[in-house]
Amino acid sequence: MHSRFYLSVMLISALFVMAYLGLTGYHALMPEWKQYQAEFKDTLVKNAKSEAAKKKAMAMPLGFTQVYLSDLKREDRCVNCHAGEDNPLMATAKLPFKQHSGNYLVNHPIDKYGCTVCHEGQSFATNKKEAHGLGHEQTHWDHPLLPLKYAQSACVQCHDIAMLSKNGGEKVAQGEALFKEKGCRGCHKVDGVGGDLGKALDGVGYQPIAYFPMKHVAGEHTVYNWLKQHFDDPRAIVPESAMKVKLTPEEVDLLTTYVLSFRPDEAPRKYRRIDYTSMMAKPDGETLYKMYCVACHADGTKSLYNEVFKRTVPAITNPSFLKTIDDKNLEAIIKEGRTGTQMTAWNKTASGLSDEQVSGLIGYLASKRPAGPMETFGLAAFKGDSKHGSEIYEARCSVCHGKEGKAGEDYLGISLRSPVIQKKIDPEMLAVTIANGRAQTPMPAFVKDTELLTKQDVADVVSFIKEIPVAGK
Amino acid sequence: MERLKYILIVAVCMLFLGAAAAKAEDGDAKKGETLYNMRCLVCHGKKGDGNGAAGVLRKEELSGRVLEIRPRDFTLGLFRFRTTASGCLPSDDDLLNTITNGFPRSFMTNLKSLPVEERKALRAYIKTFSSRFAEDPPCEPIKAVKPKWVGTDDSVKKGQVVYKNMKCWECHGETGKGDGPKSNDIKDDWGFPILPFNFLTGELKRGSTPEAIYLTFTTGLDGTGMPSYEDSLNEESRWNLVSYTMKLMGKLDKKEAH
Repeated sequence: MHSRFYLSVMLISALFVMAYLGLTGYHALMPEWKQYQAEFKDTLVKNAKSEAAKKKAMAMPLGFTQVYLSDLKREDRCVNCHAGEDNPLMATAKLPFKQHSGNYLVNHPIDKYGCTVCHEGQSFATNKKEAHGLGHEQTHWDHPLLPLKYAQSACVQCHDIAMLSKNGGEKVAQGEALFKEKGCRGCHKVDGVGGDLGKALDGVGYQPIAYFPMKHVAGEHTVYNWLKQHFDDPRAIVPESAMKVKLTPEEVDLLTTYVLSFRPDEAPRKYRRIDYTSMMAKPDGETLYKMYCVACHADGTKSLYNEVFKRTVPAITNPSFLKTIDDKNLEAIIKEGRTGTQMTAWNKTASGLSDEQVSGLIGYLASKRPAGPMETFGLAAFKGDSKHGSEIYEARCSVCHGKEGKAGEDYLGISLRSPVIQKKIDPEMLAVTIANGRAQTPMPAFVKDTELLTKQDVADVVSFIKEIPVAGK
Repeated sequence: MERLKYILIVAVCMLFLGAAAAKAEDGDAKKGETLYNMRCLVCHGKKGDGNGAAGVLRKEELSGRVLEIRPRDFTLGLFRFRTTASGCLPSDDDLLNTITNGFPRSFMTNLKSLPVEERKALRAYIKTFSSRFAEDPPCEPIKAVKPKWVGTDDSVKKGQVVYKNMKCWECHGETGKGDGPKSNDIKDDWGFPILPFNFLTGELKRGSTPEAIYLTFTTGLDGTGMPSYEDSLNEESRWNLVSYTMKLMGKLDKKEAH
């Protein structure tokens, strides 16, 4: 009785063990890739149009293949499953047998370029999960398969944007144009040139996943998802972000593609086809304005209090502004920045912008200056009394410009407390502004037409402003 | 007889004192005008109609939407932040509060540094811009007495139902971000676009105390799209809505953390 019971237990366990061994053996003999290859072969045989083609298809050997790329330090095994990449008969086949789209393979044959150099993924892997490398928690692979809409980010490794814009790299080229147009470098440095409000972006597209705060990213934790969702709404991903951005979904994808192309390493020399002369072109003043100023100042015609910066961004292409400030004072403000505000010091050391480029910018601003003489006040004829000035300032100016010129959150005026105002700016310019006001901004005229103050009062206020203690950053 | 004389003298003195007090009120408005011209005129204008030299103030919200802010027009006698019922004039204390504390995010600065007599003088002058202050009878201020249960989970849940049923979300959005389906088409009584409050941008203009929020529901914000719910919601529902609003503002999370 007992012995029969034990016997059956033994038998069943033995069956389990044998089934397990059998399955393991089958998996060893028929791994995932082999099954795909078999299916591929069947498809080939089925689709064969002539007897000869059929024969050829039936003779196709099944076996492990890989593309060894010594210069790129890769061994791509993708073709084991993606077997129809260069087969025109597979143009309409399903994945993974579908032929490669476009004519990219004409100049990039698989045996010379492999796949992962453009598409990413784990080239040594032999099953789908590991090869595609998604699911960072399990695969620990930092560069998983790129969605096709971002694939053009890879082209920049070897090609220049000028060439790509016409030859199959349109998306990454449009992304580059957007990057300039939206003024990303107004806050972010690339190659050492740019503002200092945001992080430098060199190599950021190829950083390990752990480099990014992924806490608020929805879905797969990948660099491209971080970038995309961050472009959608920066503060949803990084709550303390001060980034100003407003993009359409298409623009988000284009910019994501371009930023993914920022890589720390260059492609091996023999792969590179970069025409460096195309990158030497010197941007004109207007382009420079877009690249470095537009993100904060927009078109610069109207001043605007910004809820992210918690202060008013001045209108810098406003004719009324340009008629009161000459190029020398403009240069002082641009190069020195405004300590205590978001305005970067755009000099060579702090921003990487050359003197020539700064003059280009000033030239662009000056081109907006209306013809005719500058507005003048004639401050030299007055002797300012800063004590009286401080009383007027307290009653008239502090409402918007804050106590002692320290404007900021909830103040409509711009900050008057920075080294460039107290030490560099021509007091005449301040006097003209107070007397005549500034059109297109809330700054009213205190003398012209309104006579709220006398010219002597203005001179007094100016001497008070010049005496405000300079705040450090 | 002696006694009558005293009474008479006292009565005469009282009369004079009263007249002097009334006179002081007048003098206040005059002093207020000087102060107004110095500090308020640039935005609120000579006539108090909000058309000062500063003009329209422009502000870019977190969402990227640019909002035009116009200084308050005093001539209609319409004020948002009152403790009085909808349609009423604000109480004297309400006006003094506004002058003293200002409003965050609207560039109306506080005048805490001015002595209280000067602020009262300003108030007296501002009241001269609208004839309503002379014509309309004053209204009784509404007192907000917070029940103990405000802020409890139960109250938040009930408030959430009120928020849904009263369609608060149509303007203020499901999560209180001020992004409801109607949020882009709201205009004030002057015909200018305004934004529904985004509960996540910071403090409310009249202060973020439960009592202040309750008052907004009860008195409405005259001149804006925010109506009074004094008649359509009972007191309990309004307090429940206060709880839910505080939840959306994140004011209840901090308590949980402690």
